Amino acid sequence: MSEKQEISRRTFLNYALMGTGGFLAAGMITPMIRFAIDPMLKAAGGGDKVAVGSVDEFGPEPKSVSFKVHTKDGWYETESTLTAWITKDANGEILALSPICKHLGCTVNWNGSPDFPNEYFCPCHFGRYSAKGEHILGTPPMASLDEYETEVKDGKLYLGQIKPNPRPGVSG
Amino acid sequence: MIQKMYDWVDERLNITPMWRDLADHEVPEHVNPAHHFSAFVYCFGGLTFFITVIQILSGMFLTMYYVPDIINAYESVNYLQNQVAFGTIVRGMHHWGASLVIVMMFLHTLRVFFTGSYKKPREMNWVVGMLIFFVMLGLGFTGYLLPWDNKAYFATKVGMQIADTVPIIGPYAKTLLQGGSIVGAQTLARFFAIHVFFLPAALLALLGGHFIMIRAQGISGPL
Amino acid sequence: MAKHEKDATFVGDSRIRAKRIPNIAPSYSEYPGKSEPFWPNFLLKEWMVAAVCLLGFLVLTVSAAPELTGKANPNNTSFIPVPDWYFLFLYQMLKYPWAAGDWVVLGTVIIPGLAFGALILAPWLDRGKERRAFRRPVATWIMLVTLVGVFYLTWAANEEHEKSLASNGGGGGGAGAPAAAADPNFKAGELWAAQQNCQNCHGVNMEGSAAAPNLQKVGAELNADQIADIIKNGKDGKMPPGMFQGSDEELTKLAEYLASLK
Repeated sequence: MSEKQEISRRTFLNYALMGTGGFLAAGMITPMIRFAIDPMLKAAGGGDKVAVGSVDEFGPEPKSVSFKVHTKDGWYETESTLTAWITKDANGEILALSPICKHLGCTVNWNGSPDFPNEYFCPCHFGRYSAKGEHILGTPPMASLDEYETEVKDGKLYLGQIKPNPRPGVSG
Repeated sequence: MIQKMYDWVDERLNITPMWRDLADHEVPEHVNPAHHFSAFVYCFGGLTFFITVIQILSGMFLTMYYVPDIINAYESVNYLQNQVAFGTIVRGMHHWGASLVIVMMFLHTLRVFFTGSYKKPREMNWVVGMLIFFVMLGLGFTGYLLPWDNKAYFATKVGMQIADTVPIIGPYAKTLLQGGSIVGAQTLARFFAIHVFFLPAALLALLGGHFIMIRAQGISGPL
Repeated sequence: MAKHEKDATFVGDSRIRAKRIPNIAPSYSEYPGKSEPFWPNFLLKEWMVAAVCLLGFLVLTVSAAPELTGKANPNNTSFIPVPDWYFLFLYQMLKYPWAAGDWVVLGTVIIPGLAFGALILAPWLDRGKERRAFRRPVATWIMLVTLVGVFYLTWAANEEHEKSLASNGGGGGGAGAPAAAADPNFKAGELWAAQQNCQNCHGVNMEGSAAAPNLQKVGAELNADQIADIIKNGKDGKMPPGMFQGSDEELTKLAEYLASLK
């Protein structure tokens, strides 16, 4: 057993140095990394539904309503104002659309462009959506406008969380 | 008097070789605009550094008044620009300098590219230079939000939306940069930290590497 | 450094040699061409160039105040976002159908990734010894075409932004909309509460919405007569006329109330 592999004193010291250095770096950095990425790992909190008005107010023509929700942005809690474009079709189905363009987050307006009547129009990249929020194929957005969860209780319309709009794009 | 002080320090620390090394490197004819006017293209690197110095100084002074908080940020910028003496000039230096540094760096990059100066043995310096370019763009992006005006807010929102479209890592990168699900108080605090501490630290380290390498290799020879 | 002279003497117990090197610049006669020392000859020239640039820069900072638009208001829907100018070419690319929709990955990842990747790897992609630009046409042409593309996209983005600004009533801050964010604690008066039509667009507490401006401080900009006129006749084709419900007397009262909000 005289041929036993031995590491030299210098190699051992190098390994020990790397180990200690690794511990020092990890010990310093780990808490900081966890600290920095906390927002990524925190679950988003749900919210209650907010009343926006009587169901009778809405018709086939989209109508913009603003309503307040309580938002928590870190230490900064606010009553913020959200906007929805609300329509009610002949069957009494209510659709509340978020005005945030699905392309790059600008805000759309009903009849926002004289060239495209009866459509939602985004001024940033000329995205267009039909009255149901369906994105018009050939314009930049790749999804239909998000909708709010809706609930009708005692003749009043309540809006909740934003959820994706399942409608596919339509050709304009 | 100054000579005596210099000698006193030099006797103890032997500083003459250090600064002679810096001062004595020869500048060849082909980069000297006094001999060939076209050599002015070699000035852009130095001018980039000059404006970077202006940016660091003006940025340091801006933080004397600026508050990275969504309620007060706008008011503090408005105050320092309109109420503080020379506020327009100091903020103007930082604002216009940010654009100018990009222009100068762009011209410097083109000079290096079209003179083929990135070729062996200067590959590493080219890569470090590119990293400096990205750090500068990052500084521009994070600094743009800090005044918390409409322009800043919506530009950042669009930027975040672009980050969101990157497959797989996009949504994570967006949340990490925003510090939450919306562009808000945590985004501003994060962007401030990134703009004032993280990126400048990276920038100084990269600039140090850039300069050490150019001193070690010398400027690229005539074409 | 490692050369040990037997007769080396040190300053005190430090490792600094007592033998001093004279502080004299070497002669540059042996260098090719008209070389000159960096310090002070060349640095002076650089600083003279820098001085000219600084003068121009200071003139710019004095003559053009940095822009500060209204305080960020997430509900300001008429604001047309635009990134800082040096990101415009990337932003513009995303407007084209081949880089949007299902192809957005092409515009956000693949094309910028290829371009910047190629740039950073240029020393390994272009390995020839030749440095002169016209002797390595491939690299030069790729760069020139890219530059033309970048300049064109930046120009096009700016052009379109100017156009949409013009069609939006000219103001980046929105057509006459007060830039101030809505005050959540503001309570509108009873006169306002009776006007359902007004509330639909301007909000229950006049905080404004996607369709209409905040009115909480409208009195600072308009007087009662102007407000009454707008209520009767509408504004800019956006606000329809005749939405007010009630008598002329009540309308005057409402206009006076609104004009008192400052």
